[in-house]
Amino acid sequence: MMNLKISALEFVEEAKNGNISVEDFIGKTLERIDSVEDKLHALLSINDKALDQARELDKKIKSGEDVGACFGMPISIKDNMCIKNTKTTCASKMLENFIAPYDATVISKLKIQDAIFIGKANMDEFAMGLTTEFSAYGPSKNPWNTEYVPGGSSGGSAVSVSSFECVASLGSDTGGSIRNPASFCSTVGYKPTYGLISRYGLISYANSIEQIGPLTRTVKDSAFMLNLIAGIDPNDDTTVNNNNEDYLANIDSGIEGKKIGIITDMMGDGIDPEVLTATKEAISKLEGLGAVCEEVSLEMVKYSVAAYYTITATEAGSNLARYDNLRYGYDFPVEGYEFNSYISKARRNFGPEVTRRMIIGGFVPSAGHAGKYFLKAMKVKTKLTKEINEAFKKFDLLIAPTVPVLPFKIGEKIDDPVSLFLIDINTVTANLTGKPAISIPFKIVNGLPIGIQLMANSMNDKLLLQAAHALEKTVTLPEVTI
Amino acid sequence: MVTVEEIENVSKLMKIDIDDHSEYLDKVKKMISYFDILDSAGVESEEISMPEISIESLRKDEFIPFEGKLIEKMNHYKGTYVHAPKMS
Repeated sequence: MMNLKISALEFVEEAKNGNISVEDFIGKTLERIDSVEDKLHALLSINDKALDQARELDKKIKSGEDVGACFGMPISIKDNMCIKNTKTTCASKMLENFIAPYDATVISKLKIQDAIFIGKANMDEFAMGLTTEFSAYGPSKNPWNTEYVPGGSSGGSAVSVSSFECVASLGSDTGGSIRNPASFCSTVGYKPTYGLISRYGLISYANSIEQIGPLTRTVKDSAFMLNLIAGIDPNDDTTVNNNNEDYLANIDSGIEGKKIGIITDMMGDGIDPEVLTATKEAISKLEGLGAVCEEVSLEMVKYSVAAYYTITATEAGSNLARYDNLRYGYDFPVEGYEFNSYISKARRNFGPEVTRRMIIGGFVPSAGHAGKYFLKAMKVKTKLTKEINEAFKKFDLLIAPTVPVLPFKIGEKIDDPVSLFLIDINTVTANLTGKPAISIPFKIVNGLPIGIQLMANSMNDKLLLQAAHALEKTVTLPEVTI
Repeated sequence: MVTVEEIENVSKLMKIDIDDHSEYLDKVKKMISYFDILDSAGVESEEISMPEISIESLRKDEFIPFEGKLIEKMNHYKGTYVHAPKMS
C-alpha cells in the first residue's frame, strides 16, 4: 500500500533508494486527487503529463543517471505562479485562458530538481482574500470539516498538502496568505524574509511586501524546499544574497537559552479563548525546552491591518492596470467600443472583491485622500518596523497565534469586510516589516486546527526554522480523515 | 465619507465598468471607515523610510533574448488594429 502521507524528505529518501517508484507514487496521488477533489476543490488544473514525467524519472533513477533533489516529488503550485505552457489563471475569469509563456524562477529551480508539478492550486482571485471564497472558480473546502473555510489566499495549497494530494506546495504570502491557511488546515506554512525567494513569474498583487514560500507537512520539509528555491535572481532586484545557506543543517539545534517575546498586542481583544489557551500551551512547551519567554508590546500592531490594506490596495490598483484585455484578456470584439470603454468593459471580468480593492486602490492614494490614508499607512509601516527591530535587539524570536480565531464556516464572514480584515491582524506585521514568519500546526480543538506563529529578524530564517522544528516536535497531531 | 459619486469617479479613473455603483457603497464605505483608525496612530512626525537599492545592485540594462517567439503570436490584424496576443 503506497503511503501518500510521507514527508518530502521521506519521499526523497524512499525514491532515491528505489523503495518507491515515482510512477506508482504519482499514479496513487492522481487517484487520491480524483477521489477527494469533488469534496475539497483544492486544485484548479491537474498536470495531465505527470505520469509520463514520472516514468521518465523512474528510467533515469534505474539507469543510474543523475536525478534532481526532488526525485519526482509531486508539488502543487498556487495558480499565481507561471509554469511555461501551463494555464495560470490567478483564480480569475480575466486570466481564464492565459497560458504562461515562461517559468517563474521558483519553477525553473524546482524543474532542475525534477519536481513534478501535480496541479495548480486554488486561491482567492489575484490573492485578494483570506478564505479562498473569492476564487472565481468556487471556494476550496477545509479538509478537517468541509463546511469550513480552509483559509487563504493560498487555500488550495494548504488543502492539497493536508489532504495528501501532493507532498508539498508553493504559495504566496502578502498578509498571511501562506500562514493563515496553514494554520486553518494544520500544515506548516512559511513566509521567508522579504527578498529571500525570487518573485519573478509571480503574478503581482502588492510587490513591496509579498513573498513566495512553501507549505509542507513538516518544518524540515520547508527547510528542504527553501534550500532549493532561495537565492539571488537577476530577474528580481529585490532578492538578497543568502550565501547558499543550508537551512536543513543543524535544524535540530534546539532553542535552549533563546529569548522569545510574546506579542501581547496579538493576544488581546477578539482572540478566541481556545486559541489563547493553545498559545499559552505552546509558550510553556518552549519554556520547557529551555527558552526564556517574556511579554513584549508592539503598539503599531493595532494599526497594522488598516496600513496593510491601504498599501496593498494602492499597489494592487497599479498592478491590475495591466489587465486591459490588450496585453492580457479574453476574446471579445473591439467593434463598437471607444478605447477606454473597451478596457472598462473587459474589466467586468474581475470578481467583486478585486473590483472593491481596485476602487479602494484608486481612492486612498488619490489627491485629497493620500495624506489621510496612504501616507499615514506608510508611516505606520515605518514605525512598526522600528518597533519590531527594537524588539529583536532583546529577543531572538517572537511568538503569537497565527490567526486569532478558529476556522469558521464558509459564507459566515463574507459580507463583513472589516471582520475579515481583522483575521489578518497577527500575520500582516511580518509582511509590513519584511520579517520571516512561520505557522506551526499545534493543536486540534473540536476537530479544527490551531497554528502557532513564530517570527525572527530579517535573514534569521535558519534560527526561525530551528525553533519551529523544536516546537513541532513537542506535539503529535491527528491527520485529516477525508 | 465615501459617496456613490466618489465611487463613480474612482471607477471611471480606474477604468472599471460598474452597472450599479451603489452596490459597492456599503462595503467600500465600511473598509474606508475602518482605515480612519490610522488617524489615531500618532505617526504624523514619522519620516517614511523606503528600502534603497544601489545602482550597482541592479542588473545591467542589457538586452536579454527571449527564447520563445512572441512576435509570432502577433498575427491578428483587424483593419488598422493589432489584436493583442492571448499567449495561448
